[in-house]
Amino acid sequence: MPRNPRARWFAPSREPLWGAVVAVAIALAVSFVAILASGKNAALGFAHLFDGAFGSAAALGESAVKGSVLVLTGLSVAIPFTVGVFNIGAEGQLIWGALAAAVAGSALDLPAPLLVPVCLASAALAGGIWGALPGLLKALRGVHEVISTILLNWVAIHLVHGWLVVGPLSARTSGSAISMVGTAPIQPAAHLYRFFEGSRLDIGLPVSLAAAFAVWFFLTRTRRGFEWRATGAGAEAARASGISTRGCVVEAMAAGGALAGLGGALLILGTEHRYPGVFRTGYGFDGIAVALIGGATAPGAALAGLFFGALRAGSTALQLVGIHPSFAELIQGIAVLLVAAPRFFSPLLLRLRARAAPAGAPP
Amino acid sequence: MIGMLHGILEFAPVLVLAALGGVLSEKAGVVNIGLEGMMRFGAFAAAVGAFFTGSPWAGLACGALAGAASAAIHALFCLRLRADQVVTGIALNLVALGLVTFLLESIFGSSGVSPPVPTLPRGASGHTILAVAAFAVPLLLHLALSRTPWGLRVRAVGEHPNAAAALGVRVLALRAGCVLGSGALAGLGGAALSIGILGQFDTRIPAGQGFMALAAMVFGRWTPLGAAGAAFFFAAADALQRQLSFSLRASDLRIEGVFLALPYALTLLVLAFGSKRVRAPAADGVPYDPEGR
Repeated sequence: MPRNPRARWFAPSREPLWGAVVAVAIALAVSFVAILASGKNAALGFAHLFDGAFGSAAALGESAVKGSVLVLTGLSVAIPFTVGVFNIGAEGQLIWGALAAAVAGSALDLPAPLLVPVCLASAALAGGIWGALPGLLKALRGVHEVISTILLNWVAIHLVHGWLVVGPLSARTSGSAISMVGTAPIQPAAHLYRFFEGSRLDIGLPVSLAAAFAVWFFLTRTRRGFEWRATGAGAEAARASGISTRGCVVEAMAAGGALAGLGGALLILGTEHRYPGVFRTGYGFDGIAVALIGGATAPGAALAGLFFGALRAGSTALQLVGIHPSFAELIQGIAVLLVAAPRFFSPLLLRLRARAAPAGAPP
Repeated sequence: MIGMLHGILEFAPVLVLAALGGVLSEKAGVVNIGLEGMMRFGAFAAAVGAFFTGSPWAGLACGALAGAASAAIHALFCLRLRADQVVTGIALNLVALGLVTFLLESIFGSSGVSPPVPTLPRGASGHTILAVAAFAVPLLLHLALSRTPWGLRVRAVGEHPNAAAALGVRVLALRAGCVLGSGALAGLGGAALSIGILGQFDTRIPAGQGFMALAAMVFGRWTPLGAAGAAFFFAAADALQRQLSFSLRASDLRIEGVFLALPYALTLLVLAFGSKRVRAPAADGVPYDPEGR
């Protein structure tokens, strides 16, 4: 057993998928029983859940839109894991990215092929700066990133929602009492291109999957990616072999923040089309669940992000049987609890594998 | 000014109790990011208990029990199953968010608020017993941690669990007790919101108060008196913000977010540039393996 239990995410095992699938299956089963116990129609509820996620072109579009954001916030947590840093700050990084995209999208008057990339880049920059901050604090001042990213989340939430969006950047004309309008709407040229009529599926999906591929390629196929992983596997050994581990930590946090910021931009450019006055996303916090269940690898985060996107989209349909959409958080929470407990999981997996293997076969 | 003082005494117990919960758990070496979720369970159970028994005191007990029960999950996963403490806390917050909303809907048929529930009685000064607790509990916890054999053991398992175990301290049992106590304190903090201040459960509870309590714990250098002092300071900033936004409502100035961000920003500054004494217990977050070493 490694001294640091998180080490298994820094150096992910070769078979994280099994544990994740079993954890999600148990979480779904537990929530099914919970709905039954409350006297509601669980089977109908799950049918609605499935329908709301995959039942139509519109539903698939919703799943993809939500999934793309979760893939990015999941990556924003998974990347710092490779250098041994736990980024709990995706929510704050996403918020600054969303705000930057909203401001750039409304202030700049450019043709669409230029404006969309400029908005995405400014969102990545804003999120990247907010992510680099805890990286720098850790590298230079030894501040633990779990505490600093939690604190920075709330600094971002309050500064943006309680001041910037209702104050200096608010679109309301002076004198009007309603302050829930948010920022000025973005230019139509900044709207993300949608592929099909009747579905909100937009280029956010290919953007997020390309990001996941780029992260995978960088981490597994480049020299710097190897140095990041070496830092995560053992900082002292990495330093002894000449790797600047502090630089790796700051870079990985900045990269994570940039991807979370990009996720925020997808929300603004794809569906909100302005920074709304009330913006309770939770995508950043859910990114932690996505990264953990995805085994902290880029392909894992992509798969888990798309799955939880579908769950999020489907859970709005749970209202048809009188269940609040936040039920999805419960399912995620149980799944995370289960993957977090290696002791609970490894014996279970061993037994499953023993049963699957033919008698006499080597384990 | 009087109004502000009243506001501080009204909201401080929420933060003080939860922050002490954080201190108790982390002094014993278990990180507790799940304070927010434990407060949510406590606030909800207190409202349910007060509603069905008609007694706010029964509600208060339910709040503490529910907080401790959710902390038992934290203890089970962190100590017995040796799961990652930060991850377990995060998962607990997610579960609290979804499960409490689900229970609110199942029991009261609304996903927003519960019906009005009996609130704690208020004394001549207009405050509940929790305002007294906000002064008494930090003092008691301080004395218990610094002056009793129990306190010495708690600090020992938080700093050097292996040395403590060698001297015969049952590390895991002591840690589990501290985590349960931490949950009970957080649950009381949540109850202070639902049956102390609001007189009902609102699904937005605790609205980040658990994380602000975490900040108060860090700002107060992981000590009971320091954390309570920081909690009072943050409550004062909050009261000032309420007062200001009330008097500024007429004009178009909206700056309450700046005030709300201040406690977090200050805590970060203290962590980054404060003295070296600002540090967590040495074994905070490090799982203890009875068989190891």
